Amino acid sequence: MRSTSLSIALVAFVLWAFSTKTSFAAEFRISPLPITLNSPESSQQLLVTAIKDGRTLDLTRQVTYEVTRPKIATIAADGLIQALTEGFTQIIVQAGNIELRVPVQVTGIKQPSPVSFRHEIIPILTKSGCNSGSCHGKAEGQNGFKLSVFGFDPVADHTALVKERRGGRILIVNPERSLILRKPAGAMPHGGGLRIQPSSLHYRRLRRWIAEGAQLDAGQDDPDQRIKPAIAIDVEPQEQILLAGVMQQLKVTAVDEDANQRCVTVEAHYESNASAIATVDHRGLIQAGDIPGEAVILVRYLGHVAVCRVTLPRPGVRFERPPESNFIDRLVWDKLQQLGIEPSEPAHDTLFLRRVYLDTIGTLPTSAEVREFVTNSVADKHSRLIDQLLERDEYADYWTMRWSDMLRIDQAKISPQGAVAMTRWLRRQLKKNTPYDQFVHAIVTARGNMLAEGPASFFQVLDNPELAGRSVSQLFLGARIECAQCHHHPFEKWSQDDYYAFAGFFTGIARKSVPNGGKKIVLQPGNDLKQPHTDQIVPTAALGAEHADFSAYSDRREALVDWMVAPNNPFFSRVIVNRLWGHYFGRGLVEPIDDIRATNPATNEPLLNALSQHLIDLHFDIKAFTRTLLNSRVYQLSSHSNESNALDNQNFSHAAWKALPAEVLLDAICQATDVPEEFNGWPVGFRAIQIWDNRMPSYFFRIFGRPQRVSVCECERGNDPSIAQALHLMNSPETMRKIRHRNGQARKLADSDMSPQSIVEELYLSTVSRIPTEKERALMMQAFVESGGSRQTAAEDILWVLLNTKEFIYNH
Amino acid sequence: MLKFELSQSSGNYCDGVTRRQALQIGRTALFGGLTLPHILELEANAAVSQGRKATSCIFFMLEGGPSHIDMWDLKPGAPKEIRGPFQQISSAVPGTYISELLPHCAKVTDKFSILRTHSHRDNGHQTGRHWVLTGYPPNFGDGQAKGMPYNELYPSIGSIVSRELGMREGGVPPYIEMPNPLGPGGPGFYGAAYAPFTIETDPVQPDFQVRDMNLDKNISNRRFRLRRKLLQGAERLGATDTLTGRAKMMSTYYEKAFKLITSPHAKKAFQIQMEPASLRQQYGHTSIGQCALLARRLVEAGCRFVSIDHGSWDTHVDNFTSHKKALVPPTDRAFSTLIADLEQRGLLDDTLVVMMGEMGRTPKINSNAGRDHWSQCQSVIFAGGGTRRGVVIGKSDKTASQPITRPYGIGDLLQTIFHLMGIDGDKTYQTLLGRPVSIVKDGHVIDELVA
Repeated sequence: MRSTSLSIALVAFVLWAFSTKTSFAAEFRISPLPITLNSPESSQQLLVTAIKDGRTLDLTRQVTYEVTRPKIATIAADGLIQALTEGFTQIIVQAGNIELRVPVQVTGIKQPSPVSFRHEIIPILTKSGCNSGSCHGKAEGQNGFKLSVFGFDPVADHTALVKERRGGRILIVNPERSLILRKPAGAMPHGGGLRIQPSSLHYRRLRRWIAEGAQLDAGQDDPDQRIKPAIAIDVEPQEQILLAGVMQQLKVTAVDEDANQRCVTVEAHYESNASAIATVDHRGLIQAGDIPGEAVILVRYLGHVAVCRVTLPRPGVRFERPPESNFIDRLVWDKLQQLGIEPSEPAHDTLFLRRVYLDTIGTLPTSAEVREFVTNSVADKHSRLIDQLLERDEYADYWTMRWSDMLRIDQAKISPQGAVAMTRWLRRQLKKNTPYDQFVHAIVTARGNMLAEGPASFFQVLDNPELAGRSVSQLFLGARIECAQCHHHPFEKWSQDDYYAFAGFFTGIARKSVPNGGKKIVLQPGNDLKQPHTDQIVPTAALGAEHADFSAYSDRREALVDWMVAPNNPFFSRVIVNRLWGHYFGRGLVEPIDDIRATNPATNEPLLNALSQHLIDLHFDIKAFTRTLLNSRVYQLSSHSNESNALDNQNFSHAAWKALPAEVLLDAICQATDVPEEFNGWPVGFRAIQIWDNRMPSYFFRIFGRPQRVSVCECERGNDPSIAQALHLMNSPETMRKIRHRNGQARKLADSDMSPQSIVEELYLSTVSRIPTEKERALMMQAFVESGGSRQTAAEDILWVLLNTKEFIYNH
Repeated sequence: MLKFELSQSSGNYCDGVTRRQALQIGRTALFGGLTLPHILELEANAAVSQGRKATSCIFFMLEGGPSHIDMWDLKPGAPKEIRGPFQQISSAVPGTYISELLPHCAKVTDKFSILRTHSHRDNGHQTGRHWVLTGYPPNFGDGQAKGMPYNELYPSIGSIVSRELGMREGGVPPYIEMPNPLGPGGPGFYGAAYAPFTIETDPVQPDFQVRDMNLDKNISNRRFRLRRKLLQGAERLGATDTLTGRAKMMSTYYEKAFKLITSPHAKKAFQIQMEPASLRQQYGHTSIGQCALLARRLVEAGCRFVSIDHGSWDTHVDNFTSHKKALVPPTDRAFSTLIADLEQRGLLDDTLVVMMGEMGRTPKINSNAGRDHWSQCQSVIFAGGGTRRGVVIGKSDKTASQPITRPYGIGDLLQTIFHLMGIDGDKTYQTLLGRPVSIVKDGHVIDELVA
């Protein structure tokens, strides 16, 4: 670690037999070279790779190893080299009929540099899970022993280990008797079980650290011995195409400011974001599953993060590129081609129609609208329909509802009048399609009377700088900095300093009572905030930006918004683009949709980048952007899957099945039965998507997951099915009443002179928005046969059936 | 070492090492000396020995806070302004004395245990209930919670049990609330799949029935069967019977819902009217009485967790009249009959019964002859499900104000409940923002309580 070593690949041309059946010529690469180990517990992961036709295959565990001087170092079958004594040796790598020699130099054993608690012990505590949020890292510790979560506070951790309990956890004179070794090594009962094997490098390093006096910063005064902090980690490989069932070893290297490298493969922490596609174990060994797709392996070490992207293509697929309507199609087809996944067929007219109605205006098409669309023969009827929908009043209603959730319009916090005032303002913005940057500007800098039409109430809900800071950050920047309130964000660079620096933008506002009983948001001089952990004032700054300069601003928030909406802001447009994509396609390019960070990459980065740029090019015109999404062929694909894409749920090869929001489902039931809902205290005729009262008691809303608006996270809206939902739709007095209502759809059809066949067709059109097939007609005619001559009974039965199909309950 | 790992047989380790990985570690360490089936067998035994004693739990929440000093922990020697008017009486267990208000319970004290040293720091109703029912202190002030349920983040005990133990054969929902939703009885970040099935009518009502479960009077069984047949046909023709993910889950729930509506077994569980009049009388024609009886039926039919909400215990005014006339007698009857009934049916060993409030009441009587909020010393009643019988655990001081033996907090109570149900209280799940949250925040199993 204290010398520079270069990673040079040794490349040889070999004939490698992969199995008994096939053999082929391949390049053969070993990394790193040469190898230097310079402390008693240092280790080096070797990677042995075969390369053919640009594809690579990990052979690390398939070759055999031999050490020429076994006293100097050892190598395990998994390619991990460990130091024994000082000296030089070679490792012979035997691959098929080829032998390669890897030089290994071992130093620093006789007089090792002292172990650094900060740089060498903390990673062990993290790796072993000691300081995780569910063990000793939780706020109250575990069993009286508390560590800082993920080791963000080495000084406090050192105190906890060495000084608490009067030093009872450490026994310098007899390190192996120390609690800190005996417990995790299983020599004493330990609630967390066996965490550190007694034979492991981790155990030995801990033991040596104790024997050296259990210092916090040993050797830091001596420039020769001082360990420099890692400034980054590198992972190899960074991208890998794997076939089903194949394994790939990772190698992780920490680099300090002098470009010294050391292998930290055994100390790094690994996590897969898609375990069905690829898993990873504690040694950094990736195991590909059998579902084609892409997984990201997240590697963490001492607050640094790196990723390896794993792609599992579907083998043997001849990909035929479908036509393209716009850049979205091109980039999605690119991805599908790479993965060998064929997209579904385009959706039928009726399927597209139903989907685009429900997605865009939260409203089911009427049977008349379905008929009209089906019979319309104009070539561009799809894009015309999209244009019409975006101009309908229900568009504003529906998106007002969605934004009301995100902006937390909660009448219990801002009074019913305040909720009405803010809802009205929102609806006006959405109706006139205020550009998104201006929309956000108005919200983030809101002030004035909360009972007047406007967004001022936003800061009544977010009533302190920290809450405002973390909410604005998550909502508009996709950065969930709230983790950093208590500890360094585990997967991100955001620290507690960043958290309080950001909250500092919201210190310049106050809430003042006004004569009519309401309140208003007024400006006051702002101030930078104190970070409670360090007790230091942190200068206000945006995420990853310089300290804010407020000299040109009377309102601190103006400085923030200017930074946010600048075209080069790395977060702003990506979040809204991803949010809209997630809404229309059922899954964000990044999931969760408001958790955008380097370590959580999009499933299709080029697409997210292109969409983001597109929105900027459109000057943040949301309707125009939506038009681009909806006119893509990708949006208009069928939800029926084919053999190759049935398991794909992240590359948009077919349309997704999306749960209808509670309000939309209720409105759809009302429309299909032709019986309006009577909301307690509201005039008849209001639709559920128009109800601003988030606290209105409703069993239906409760069981179908309407959010209470306690968080800016869209994830608050529930979309999980439940027994209560099924019971309610099938058998509740409310549903039953609507189905057989004297002014309802079933009765009207029964009383009409329509034939049973036509009644069946009309019911299909008004519920699942399509014309029934011959088989479906025949099936439903049974209702007439079995009804004993009652047309109404038959119509009710068919309506009941259709309302309970998944085709009705879901948008697809 | 092997034993050590197997002792944590349920689910994830602290940092997400799965059981499968742990088993692999175990296997490697043993050099293949044990085969995998063998290990699984050991594991199954370990799970049994680690003790799932209770398969179900009935939880009485006495909302408002019952007066421990007037019911379970009397202080006849205390000054008048503290002890109140009630006398203590002897009970089935020699040396155990409880209030004269509880004559029926006194006859069965040999079947349950009284924990007299429950203590916590939250004197609010909403906040205290949140803490008791989720194991986590709330992040709002008392009286500020709005909406139902109000445990927005942390799951309630019932939701946890529902998630860990799942539904048993027979189609009865695993977590049922009655006769109202408990404020913090929701699933928190676990999501709607673990929400309680709430019976929003009171079984004491003569026309009691469960919402959405009984067929509308206009729909004959024949007609419902036809509808179901047509629905299955429609799903098949629409090719929606092959879906995956949530839509498939919805299909499963439809099946379960059909079962509830049509299966005599599941339906019967809710039909309290089928109980003999004499037994209904014995439980008492009161809300808590009939809830207790219905709870027994549900547990018998396979429900995992029944919570019974019983209100009006917040006796700031006229504490003694309220306890004597309105509150304690129905509770005394309901609880004692439930214990005897469970015992008689051989269900008491498998069924854990817990009765508590979110707080106790002040030993000092206020100027309105009432008692105020007192969370520092309370009595909690445990019966069955692997708890000890006939013991009194812990001792409070002369005025029942503070425990003088080891105080047990909410975490301890919950750890004990989960332990008895074979659930690892240290298991963690990630919130929607990815923060790991363990099932119980803190605490230890109360060994004195476990048989």
